[in-house]
Amino acid sequence: MDFFLSYIILAEIYILLALSTNLLVGITGIFSVSQAAVFGVGAYVCSSLTLNEGWPFGVALLAAIVCCVVINVLLSLPSLRVSGDYFIVTSFGIQFLCTAVFENWSSATGGTSGLPGIPTPQIFGLHTEEPAYFVWMSTFALIIGCLCFQLVLRSPFGRLLGAIREDEIAVAAIGRNVLRGKINAAALSGAYSGVAGSLYGAFLSFIDPSSFDMQASILLVSMVVVGGARTMAGSIIGPAFLIGLPQLLAFVNISSSIAGPLRQLVYGVLLVVFMLFRPSGLAGKRL
Amino acid sequence: MLALQLLVDGIINGCVLGTISISFTLIYSTTRMFHVAHAGVFTLGAYFVWTFVQAGVPGPVAVVLGVACCMAVGAAIQRYFYQPLAARNATPLVVMIASLGLLAIIENGIAAVYSQNVLTFSEWWGKAVVPVGGLPITGAQILSVVMGLGAYAFLRVLSQRTLLGRKIRAVASNPFLAEIAQVKPKLVYIWVYAIGSMIVCLPSALIAAEFGLRPYNGLLYLINASIAMIASGLGSITGAFVVSILLAVLQNLSLLIVPSQWSIGVTFILFILLMLFRPRGLFAPAR
Amino acid sequence: MAYVVVDGISVRFGGLQALDSCSFSIKEGEITCLVGPNGAGKTTIFNAVTGFLKPDAGTVRFRDRLITGLKPQAIVRAGIARTFQNLRLFTEMSVLDNLMLALPEQFGEEPLTAIFRPIRTQKLGRERGRVAERALAETGLTARAHDLVRNLSYGEQKMLSIARVLATGADLLLLDEPASGLDAEALDGAMALLRRLQAEGKTLLVVEHNTRVVQRIADTVMFLHQGRLLAQGSPDEITRDPHLTEIYFGGVLG
Repeated sequence: MDFFLSYIILAEIYILLALSTNLLVGITGIFSVSQAAVFGVGAYVCSSLTLNEGWPFGVALLAAIVCCVVINVLLSLPSLRVSGDYFIVTSFGIQFLCTAVFENWSSATGGTSGLPGIPTPQIFGLHTEEPAYFVWMSTFALIIGCLCFQLVLRSPFGRLLGAIREDEIAVAAIGRNVLRGKINAAALSGAYSGVAGSLYGAFLSFIDPSSFDMQASILLVSMVVVGGARTMAGSIIGPAFLIGLPQLLAFVNISSSIAGPLRQLVYGVLLVVFMLFRPSGLAGKRL
Repeated sequence: MLALQLLVDGIINGCVLGTISISFTLIYSTTRMFHVAHAGVFTLGAYFVWTFVQAGVPGPVAVVLGVACCMAVGAAIQRYFYQPLAARNATPLVVMIASLGLLAIIENGIAAVYSQNVLTFSEWWGKAVVPVGGLPITGAQILSVVMGLGAYAFLRVLSQRTLLGRKIRAVASNPFLAEIAQVKPKLVYIWVYAIGSMIVCLPSALIAAEFGLRPYNGLLYLINASIAMIASGLGSITGAFVVSILLAVLQNLSLLIVPSQWSIGVTFILFILLMLFRPRGLFAPAR
Repeated sequence: MAYVVVDGISVRFGGLQALDSCSFSIKEGEITCLVGPNGAGKTTIFNAVTGFLKPDAGTVRFRDRLITGLKPQAIVRAGIARTFQNLRLFTEMSVLDNLMLALPEQFGEEPLTAIFRPIRTQKLGRERGRVAERALAETGLTARAHDLVRNLSYGEQKMLSIARVLATGADLLLLDEPASGLDAEALDGAMALLRRLQAEGKTLLVVEHNTRVVQRIADTVMFLHQGRLLAQGSPDEITRDPHLTEIYFGGVLG
């Protein structure tokens, strides 16, 4: 039962991340490969505030959201000035830089050995150590997240983001502000990552840099692509499937030393196959 | 004295970086495709050479065989990967995601087959020290300079003196016109990928001989190389080579004040500054 | 009063002088056609006036306000909107969405208002939608409002690009070859539309190659050659000038 509940909770956290990535990559068309880094910032900020400073979870969560919004806006600033291919380089660079910070700023992040013993939040006097309680909290966060996503998709803001993906010059030519649209998209996407990061640290009570590295960023892109870009359904199906996949692989008898690479290999194959044969993913729209 | 040593080391490292950079510049400036999977071809090169050496092939022959294998891989990637994508009218975003997927396949494929451990060549004479003008220069460093200058000269002659080079330049400046003029852009692209992949095998093997083989290192080298390419203003092989040396020198000199684990940060901050103040590259006329 | 005054605009691309201190003015309420051989600098004028390109020298004034150096979106708000030769429509969106995007002053264009004021966003969105529907009716696209743009015919897409500049509410419309590639029937429709827009008080600057179209719609014709304004006058004056005809057709035929 706990096994199933942890799957649900992890899937819910990754759905929030997929929504965050979808917003930036799928809907706005900013190809960011550093979303795991922003996720990491959220996780480290919230976790170290509750662990080292004894902040209540709710306040630390807000701090994490603010940090992620600021960081994501700063990270996407180069995309406002440089276009397309240049931004890819910036994005890869940001991912490497953040991994270096997570690994080497030991006093704050615990370095490569990570941060153990992150306290689980107390909500209305209930300890959420039990997955059965935690799942309520993560489900609540997910529902709010999906609701906001849907509202955004249907609003003039969502329409503007889609237009930016299609043709920035045309957007400027009809009097809309491309810059402000991109900054807003990055901020909103950062807020999702902040929530997801905070929940992730609190749920596992342990975080280390390997959850927020380049491979993790590739996983996030895979989730969006497999589920399907530009729709909410896509961002739910993708993580639900890809988080389940390692559990399935666990039933196949392979040595643990190659299980990791094999899993990443599958993500790579999925990326290529979907881009070649079905760029709209399982339940998305044309990318 | 330390500064001088770092300066000389920087210039020599720059030759290695420059070789990667010009191989990537050749591909990028002709096809305008940010070939992320080039990092995978780079990594693959060293593993090819290592495998041949393990099989008892003498070193130099193994390198030649590795180069040939990389060439075949590069040509195959263009013919059987990018061309089908282009035939399906994939958007740049889709092609980029697919390329990232291919990189994940190559890297994790290597990790699954050869394990994630660092592999080394059993026999390597590159560590032998030859004092040059009072500075201890290793055999590997001499080889680096020879390789860098050789690869640069090769590409210059290819591009300026040969029919293929003329075709490459024609396709790079206008694929549509080139097609009218009976140059087949598709064929030229295959050649460009083959040559770029061939060249990148050399620095890969050299770095592997010095520091060992790792499956996941390619991207970091490629990002450095593409930073040099972008900083030089795109497209010029000479520019990319010169800026690579400049970049490597700055990275090495920064070791005087910044610990080595942060050198990615130094590179990256240089890049961001450049993008903010000279977004068209160092050698582009200011506007 | 001069409505638009372009004074000494120069633009250089590398070795090419695209515009060479080009000056002209446009009268309010007129249809002005911009003609000239390929590469004369017609589209460059559009880019310089609408802020997509910063001229190396010279100024553009609109209703006595200096607009050179403003960003494209600010120039649209000042009242100048343009179309593109290659249309640049949002092809993955519906016809109506293309127009809704162009409407000024939208509520719910920020994430916070979109999330926290959803009802108001929807309500005001519907109200704005009626403005968009008027632009649809004007261009005869009402029946296709909910179709994806990529499923439209070329002629319909061309009409949509005009509807989109109308939706911005701009008074000066810069149209880049609105009649090219249209069949005879669509061509008549397009010309009637331009006349109607003029009657509604819009001022039009039109790049056009088809001399028959120019003859029928233009109040004033400006002849551009090698980045300079060579002549300005009524359509008859311009077509009767043998020197201009020679440049124009010489360029095409020779």
